[in-house]
Amino acid sequence: MVVVARKELSFWERLYLPAVVKGLRITMAKMFAPRFTRQYPEEPIPMTETTRGQPRLAVNEDDTIRCVSCGLCEAACPAYAITIDGHETDRLIEREPEQFEIDMLRCILCGFCEEACPKHAIYMSQELELADFSRQALVYDLEKLKRPVSALQERIDYVNKINDRWQTSSST
Amino acid sequence: MQLILIWLLVTLVCYGGVIVTAALMTLAERKVSAAMQYRYGPNRVGPFGLFQPLADGLKFMFKEEVVPTGANRLMFRLAPVLTALPAMLSIAVIPFAGEIGTYEGNAVMGSIANPEIGILYVLAVSGIGIYGAILGGWASNSKYALLGGLRASAQMISYELSLILAVLAVVAMTGSLNLHEIVAGQQGWLGWNVFSQPLAFLLFLICAYAETNRHPFDFAECEPELVAGFHTEYSSMKFAMFFIGEYTAMVVMACLVTTLFFGGYLVPFWTDAPWWIGLIAFCFKTSFFLLLFIWVRWTLPRFRYDQLMHLGWKVLFPLALVNIFLTGAFISLFGSGGN
Repeated sequence: MVVVARKELSFWERLYLPAVVKGLRITMAKMFAPRFTRQYPEEPIPMTETTRGQPRLAVNEDDTIRCVSCGLCEAACPAYAITIDGHETDRLIEREPEQFEIDMLRCILCGFCEEACPKHAIYMSQELELADFSRQALVYDLEKLKRPVSALQERIDYVNKINDRWQTSSST
Repeated sequence: MQLILIWLLVTLVCYGGVIVTAALMTLAERKVSAAMQYRYGPNRVGPFGLFQPLADGLKFMFKEEVVPTGANRLMFRLAPVLTALPAMLSIAVIPFAGEIGTYEGNAVMGSIANPEIGILYVLAVSGIGIYGAILGGWASNSKYALLGGLRASAQMISYELSLILAVLAVVAMTGSLNLHEIVAGQQGWLGWNVFSQPLAFLLFLICAYAETNRHPFDFAECEPELVAGFHTEYSSMKFAMFFIGEYTAMVVMACLVTTLFFGGYLVPFWTDAPWWIGLIAFCFKTSFFLLLFIWVRWTLPRFRYDQLMHLGWKVLFPLALVNIFLTGAFISLFGSGGN
């Protein structure tokens, strides 16, 4: 058995008041210390180049969509969040999506659709905020998903960089 | 007729001032505690979150009122009123400013009423406040609430005694129960009672914390042990009433500390200051003690219950007795007054 002898408090310590004053001094000093809280909507979350936000569809400068509605992303999606319907077009790429829906409540932001896409049409943007008043409103349709290439450029550059790395390592 | 109007105006301003201060205290509480914990506190409603108390009040009004089964309905409804009302009643004699002016030969003082027994009235009325906690705890038909109410009453009895004895020393020094005269007795260099009665001040301050159920003596609420203590079962505006009562009592206590020990509305080294300067000085001093209430709350942990009783009966009470004995001896030997 271990007996720990308690230290006898001195009269000064038993008064408690000096300790109380000391405590008050500490809390007052902390009042003027820098604060940790991030004022979220005004101070956005810092993004890195690896940040995977919600998937978006790239639209070329001439307002044509890159997607050919091949359905690969639909097949790759592990959460079954993507629904595509395509139709013929007289443009060179022959097909384009008629209906392209991503259920943002199902999307797990994994980025498989981006990897699967053979036409560099779908990219994980840096958009992360997701809030609405109904579930239906969070099923994003074609219009909500379209983004000009310029808005996605950062991500496109990053993906190209990663893909280049794989290519050089396989060729050597 | 005009006298009634003046009196009405003074009443309105005094009550409005105290209630608004009490409301702002709920905001200050959160703001200061947030700052002490590296946070910001409420800052979304209005500039600097200033309308937060208003929003809180609105929220309380629209909440559902729940009366637990088996509760004594009359007492359950009466308890919040009994908490808030005494605190508000004691505002009536607080001297906020000196002589504002004269009306038909009568001096208009900066308080709603100016009875000869001012301090006695405050102590008597604020003593009723405890009934709210006890009745609320008992009428709720809940174990936690009952325990909270019991603790509140035990605590109140232990501490009110020392509180009154501390005040008595001040009263003996001044020779008057009138709050305006107590303030007037603190004129001059080091005239504040805190210099002649430092022990009484300390006792009063500690007991004031216990009296208002504030940390480190908030046994009536005591979240980790009793859920929320005597107001566990309360909801909606009835719950808010308890809070209004608590915060108003806090403001009143801060006013009393200022009045009894820190020269009330007197400005140091400026004897003939106009009344509004005195009012500002009073607000300034009171604000400091209000800040101290919050400051202490977020610094000290809660006492254990037996420690509370030990402190009350074995430390504060004998000290208060010694203090009053010494004061009495001093006065009888060297004549009245410390000035």
